[in-house]
Amino acid sequence: MSQVFHDIEKKIINSLKENPIQTPETLENSTQLSPDQIRRGIEWLKLKDLAIVDESKSSVLRLGKNGLDSFEKGLPERRLLNLIKSGPKKLSEIQKELGFVFGPAIGLCRKNNWIETSSDQIILKTIPSELPGEKSLQLIGNNKLPKEQTDKIDLSELLKRPDFILEDIIKNKKISLTQSAKSLDVSNISGAIDVEAEVPEVFVARTHPLKDTIDEIREIFVTLGFSEILGNMTQSSFWNFDALFTPQDHPARELQDTFFLDGISAKKIANPEQIRKVSDSHKKNWRYQWDINEARKMVLRTHTTCVTIKHLAENKPDEARIFSLGRVFRNEKVSYKHLVEFNQIEGIVVGKDANLRNLMGIQREFYKRIGITKIKFWPTFFPYTEPSLQTMVYNEKLGKWIELFGMGIFRPEVTKPLGITKPVLAWGGGIERIAMLKYDLDDVREFYNNNLGWLRSNTKCQ
Amino acid sequence: MPVIELSYSRLQKLIGKVSKKQISDSLPFLGLDIESEDKDLVRIEYSPNRPDYSTDIGIALGLQGLLGIKTGLLKLTVKSSKNYTITVKPTVSKIRPFVTGIIAKNGKIDDKTIKQLMTMQEDLHFGIGRKRKKSSIGIHDLDKISFPLTYTTVDKNHKFIPLNSEKELSISEIISDTETGKDYGHLLGQSSKVPIIIDSNKNTVSFPPIINAGITTVTTKTKNLFVEVTGINKADAEDMLSVVATILQSAGFSLENIQISGAKNSSPKLQEKKLSIDSSLINQTLGLDLSTPKIISSLKKSRLNAISKGKKIVCTIPAYRFDIFGPMDLVEEVALGYGIQNFEPTVSPSQTIGQTNPVSLHLKSLNQTMIGLGFLEALNSSLSSKRVLYEMTNRDSKNIISVLDSKSQEHTILRDSILPGLLENLSRNIHESYPQKMFETGNIFNLEQPISEKINLAVISAHKDANFTEIKSVLQTLLKIGFSIQIQTKTISHSSFKDGHCANIILNGNIIGIIGEIDSTIIENYKIRVPVVGFEISLSESILKSL
Repeated sequence: MSQVFHDIEKKIINSLKENPIQTPETLENSTQLSPDQIRRGIEWLKLKDLAIVDESKSSVLRLGKNGLDSFEKGLPERRLLNLIKSGPKKLSEIQKELGFVFGPAIGLCRKNNWIETSSDQIILKTIPSELPGEKSLQLIGNNKLPKEQTDKIDLSELLKRPDFILEDIIKNKKISLTQSAKSLDVSNISGAIDVEAEVPEVFVARTHPLKDTIDEIREIFVTLGFSEILGNMTQSSFWNFDALFTPQDHPARELQDTFFLDGISAKKIANPEQIRKVSDSHKKNWRYQWDINEARKMVLRTHTTCVTIKHLAENKPDEARIFSLGRVFRNEKVSYKHLVEFNQIEGIVVGKDANLRNLMGIQREFYKRIGITKIKFWPTFFPYTEPSLQTMVYNEKLGKWIELFGMGIFRPEVTKPLGITKPVLAWGGGIERIAMLKYDLDDVREFYNNNLGWLRSNTKCQ
Repeated sequence: MPVIELSYSRLQKLIGKVSKKQISDSLPFLGLDIESEDKDLVRIEYSPNRPDYSTDIGIALGLQGLLGIKTGLLKLTVKSSKNYTITVKPTVSKIRPFVTGIIAKNGKIDDKTIKQLMTMQEDLHFGIGRKRKKSSIGIHDLDKISFPLTYTTVDKNHKFIPLNSEKELSISEIISDTETGKDYGHLLGQSSKVPIIIDSNKNTVSFPPIINAGITTVTTKTKNLFVEVTGINKADAEDMLSVVATILQSAGFSLENIQISGAKNSSPKLQEKKLSIDSSLINQTLGLDLSTPKIISSLKKSRLNAISKGKKIVCTIPAYRFDIFGPMDLVEEVALGYGIQNFEPTVSPSQTIGQTNPVSLHLKSLNQTMIGLGFLEALNSSLSSKRVLYEMTNRDSKNIISVLDSKSQEHTILRDSILPGLLENLSRNIHESYPQKMFETGNIFNLEQPISEKINLAVISAHKDANFTEIKSVLQTLLKIGFSIQIQTKTISHSSFKDGHCANIILNGNIIGIIGEIDSTIIENYKIRVPVVGFEISLSESILKSL
């Protein structure tokens, strides 16, 4: 515990140094603090082992209602005797004069043989100079007497009577300083606060955690020599599927997998030569009647590859490293592992160095930079690449291999019709999967819930 | 991707000398993903371009090659026979014009083989058969059929006992009452006639592509098979037949051919094809330096044949490998035969300088400024719903862009505004402490030919003292400090905002957005208990305009 004192504590300590044993009331007077501040200050000092609070109980005696009445007007029997001192009086007259004490007064006087009663009169027989209890009544009076001080007073007579003597229990607090507090010089510690105390939360304004991962990945691609291209999320089926050698009757092109836009077709999809050559490739290799109206149907892109292939078809570079990053869509049931809309990164390399081992090398480099070193490659299948591979990365937390990016070399059936003559390496995958590993999430929906509780508490750097 | 269930012990029997571990280690390198394992059983996902992997028999062929137990091409031996003929009548040409088939004799069929053949049939129907539309298979007990057969059409009142039925049903009943009839009846179109294969005793063998006759059902007692494939394209039907023929021969059957004629039909050839390739293309593409013998042995491990001819390598490809289109497919076969695990990744230094897209850079600056102003970034789907976009916010829903058959109610309409999503977010956070300040940038969509996509920013602030002045200050500072842009605000009335507390945002005389205090009915709709202010502007028409 550091020696840090609140102003309240300092004032109490100083007061107790002058006057070593005090009650809360005397401290209130000497420090000019409120009862509540004194109470809190004493509590803090007690916790710091700087103050001793000696709590005790004591009782005080005082007169009750009847006691006070007798103190003012005399005991009932004294009042009766005084009334008949000068001669006998009528019973009814005395009753009227004494009111409710008439009964006890008559009883006592008769019992002690101080009076005589005839048919309707009371006659004095003798009048003692001091009645039992009279002296004690005077000694107490309006005071509150500590019980131990009443030892010498005979209260027996008064205690017999109802509501003459009352006893109050009083709690006493005596506050004093401990030895260590006495040697403390609080005047030297000025303005310090309790820096160890709990403080209220404030909330940070920040980028979305998923955006942090997206930015990190963008940064890695740029440092690896890749340039970013952008494209629309709504695409014609031509660029999303046909240009990528996906036949028009392929299951991926059905409503249950892809979002088609209701009643929306593109008038212009590509230049006539591109359309002719792409359709020829389909007719020759897949043996079916290619339909341009199918190719016009607008879809929400199912991958960013449509952006890449469009870029390649327009620019036909001999050497290039480009990437695109953005939202893609699948008509899926939303669950803890599936979203209808998620982010995808895709990179491509065009040129003479574009070979399978280099493709694997780029993957290894990318994963190294996001902190994944244990990777392996398995063959797989994509309609538009040949050969095709997928990366498996080892997840230490889950203790198993999980599938991340897919990759391959664009098929000649894709590149040739669009006039792309150099080999093209392509790879890509979902970003949410990587972000889930990073943020240790097991429900992918959390990224789009905008749950302030999560956004405000999530660690920014992981 | 299709999934099949295999047994390790059966695979071991089919492959020959091999351990369970060797099998499970090798499966991924054939391109087969292990989904789950349970003692002897393993569930495997295979790619639809390799229908031969729809049975353990096909997978065993692949593994034999990869493990070097049996390499090279599996040659189909089809005994030429004149005993089996199918005559095709011209009437089928408008409905399902082609039939092909093969006879498989003297095989042993146990329960497990039947199960494998059935899953193969299902997978072939679904994948390359395109849900039986392109082509479909029937496998029959040959000994229950009397050749010659006729592929012809009949009326819908034609009756026979179909598979899984005790009594005769008419074609109409089969289409309307049976499960496969309901699922595939539409493939027959509007014609009053349907295709049928009948034998010489006028017994129905098959009603393609719907159902087989019950009498020809294959059981464990069956020794000889008749396989027929019908379809809308001759080559596709023969492709499918080649897979079945290969699997049956590997399962121990002897194949015999069927003579097919009439209406442009002919007997299947199931021919191998030859493709030549330069070793330089292989080495260039893979980044390797393989000798010609190594290339040839790798191709053989992929169950192809190859010989060296001058500078070329000539490859022989069996009929069932119709996934091989050209030389690049052979490059992949070399890579697989060589073993993907044997590739050492390399890094060639980049010859290019990387660049972030200017749009991304601008959006990043904007994010930083918004965060400096104390706002938290939110992310919502671009695919939203009528409820969020229009109903809760009183917005006009005239020109909506909706998607077809969404599986999720919450994702049916492309957003034309970002602000409604943020309001929805506030409603889900009413138990969190205030002030709540959020922003989001993202694409919005508008119906033009065909669709315009623009980038918007929406900002929202909710707390007990939220007011117009506060949010206009944010807007003004963001644009001035972030981008040196000065805007004006002009009074406007809008259904989402409180009257008299709402303005258009104007830049150089053009409306680029809207700002104001959110209307109390919307706040009540969302059960939010504090005032909410916000704005939305088009970034494409402001800070991103010149990019």
